[in-house]
Amino acid sequence: MAYGREGGGDTVPFIRDTLTSLTRLLRTFTRSPFYAFVYLVQPLIWLLLFTQIFKSVTMLPDFPTSSYLQFFAPGLIVTLAVFNSNFTGFALLNDINFGVLEKVLVTPVNRYSLILGTVLYVAVTGVLQVAVVLIISFALGATLVTGVGGILITIVIVSLLGIGLTSLLGALALRAKRVEPLIFVSNLITLPLIFLSSALIPAYLTPDWVQTAMKFNPVNYAVLAVRPLFLTGYDWNAIGVGLVVLVAWAVAGIIIAEYAFRRFGD
Amino acid sequence: MLVKNIIETFNLTKVYNEKIRAVDDLNLAIKEGEIFGLLGPNGAGKTTTIRMLVTLTRPTSGRAVIDGHDLAKEARTIREIIGYSSQQAGVDDNAKGREYLGLFGNYYHLDGQTIKRRIDEVLVLMELEDAADRLISTYSGGMQKRLEIATALINKPKILILDEPTLGLDVQTRLRIWDYIREINKEDTTILLTTHYLEETDKLCDRVAIVDHGKIVALGTPDELKSEISGDAVTLTLPLQDPDQHAKTIERAKQLLSSQTYVRDVVARDDGLNVYVDEGSSAVPQILRVLEEADVKAEGITLTRPSLDDVFVKYTGRTLREEKGTGRGALGGVRPRGGR
Repeated sequence: MAYGREGGGDTVPFIRDTLTSLTRLLRTFTRSPFYAFVYLVQPLIWLLLFTQIFKSVTMLPDFPTSSYLQFFAPGLIVTLAVFNSNFTGFALLNDINFGVLEKVLVTPVNRYSLILGTVLYVAVTGVLQVAVVLIISFALGATLVTGVGGILITIVIVSLLGIGLTSLLGALALRAKRVEPLIFVSNLITLPLIFLSSALIPAYLTPDWVQTAMKFNPVNYAVLAVRPLFLTGYDWNAIGVGLVVLVAWAVAGIIIAEYAFRRFGD
Repeated sequence: MLVKNIIETFNLTKVYNEKIRAVDDLNLAIKEGEIFGLLGPNGAGKTTTIRMLVTLTRPTSGRAVIDGHDLAKEARTIREIIGYSSQQAGVDDNAKGREYLGLFGNYYHLDGQTIKRRIDEVLVLMELEDAADRLISTYSGGMQKRLEIATALINKPKILILDEPTLGLDVQTRLRIWDYIREINKEDTTILLTTHYLEETDKLCDRVAIVDHGKIVALGTPDELKSEISGDAVTLTLPLQDPDQHAKTIERAKQLLSSQTYVRDVVARDDGLNVYVDEGSSAVPQILRVLEEADVKAEGITLTRPSLDDVFVKYTGRTLREEKGTGRGALGGVRPRGGR
């Protein structure tokens, strides 16, 4: 961010700058038909497709529920958080490539506001995405046994996951300043992050090495925390572990992004 | 009248990858109220210099003082008083003109009333009133550039810094941008711009620094610089032979011509010679005769009034005109020039 951590201090500009950044990102979001497609149509396709393809896995012994939709809805919420983080990463790259970020950094805007504005944007769009998947899932017959409390926890977990991943991809965009490395990394990691978690299938049905890999995958911790909210009730153990892992994940992401941001001009 | 220096640099240096000295001990003093041009080829260090002055890139060593504020310690204050127009597009396709200007008004922490007023003012100045409420994606290239410059004016900066303001624009748009820059300058805004267009410096700038390899090689008003080379300039191009032979031929021709009484100065280029004479029309036939007697073939010969390009050739042995100038790398002028 072209040097200096200076720019903190004043609270009023800090809040104002944060809201300005957030508003701008949200305006782009509401304006582009592409985002409407991604956020509305995409979950619909996933839900219709996967609930058909994986219908019969529920007949396997010990499968936690008789409805794959019921099992998959929370997994999908987490899966889409991973996908949407990629989109936000690319949106940041756009700002870098067209020189918008550079122009913004020459103004006295608070540097941390720019990061926080993006973090809030990820959270807001996360809420929207959760709402869309829930509405479609409920319409198709799914239930959420923990009600409003479960929804709130889901939103927190999904936002933390998204903030961490968006920050890391944003840091990469800031360093690479080119689209190819971002495409490469996002292609490379997205599917493994999803498939090496229990988003689509219960862990006990996967080989040992996959189960080991899941232990190192933040996506899996999100799924483990969220799924019981839909199926059985609050699993405070899973929620606690999930929160610890994902807060660490998000904080690590922000620290790395902040570092990349500070060195952007050099 | 004593005019104060609004930008001063002291041995300002930027080293990339521990070896490329993009800006090399640069000492620069820009006076309040002037239009100052940094002229040089791509990779000369112009963009890097500017990026340091606008607080985007940290200097490796050296100092700069802008309007009395130390660049290293008071970046935040400096950001309040400068406007920066970059070489890149610098606009967001998804926004409307007015919204995009408003974004910068907010980032400059102006109050709502002032933002509204300034948006209207800069829209009038850059003649964009009619397009203000359209999406930027519908703008032509020239309009986008004007809007981009408008964003740099929203805070009514004391200093406007422009990096290649007319790069890639058609001639007509270029002339209009020059008019805008003069207009902005009239409102007591000091202007620092980089360019590799000779006409731009000649027509627009009060003073020029010619920059090469991160150093200033010449400094003065365009007229002062041109008067260093008096008379007419005869530009000779010699046919390319094998490199050794070529250099020898050029050197031989240089010695021959230097000894002629009507020749004031001879400067060798990679592909020929610039010969400076008092009276071009009578000198050309004589020059050709001398060359013919020495069995040196000239492939091309042109006669011109001295230009800033001749000044550039004098100090660097290369011409600026061969620069096609399409470089728009994300790192600005970092790329080292070939054949250094």
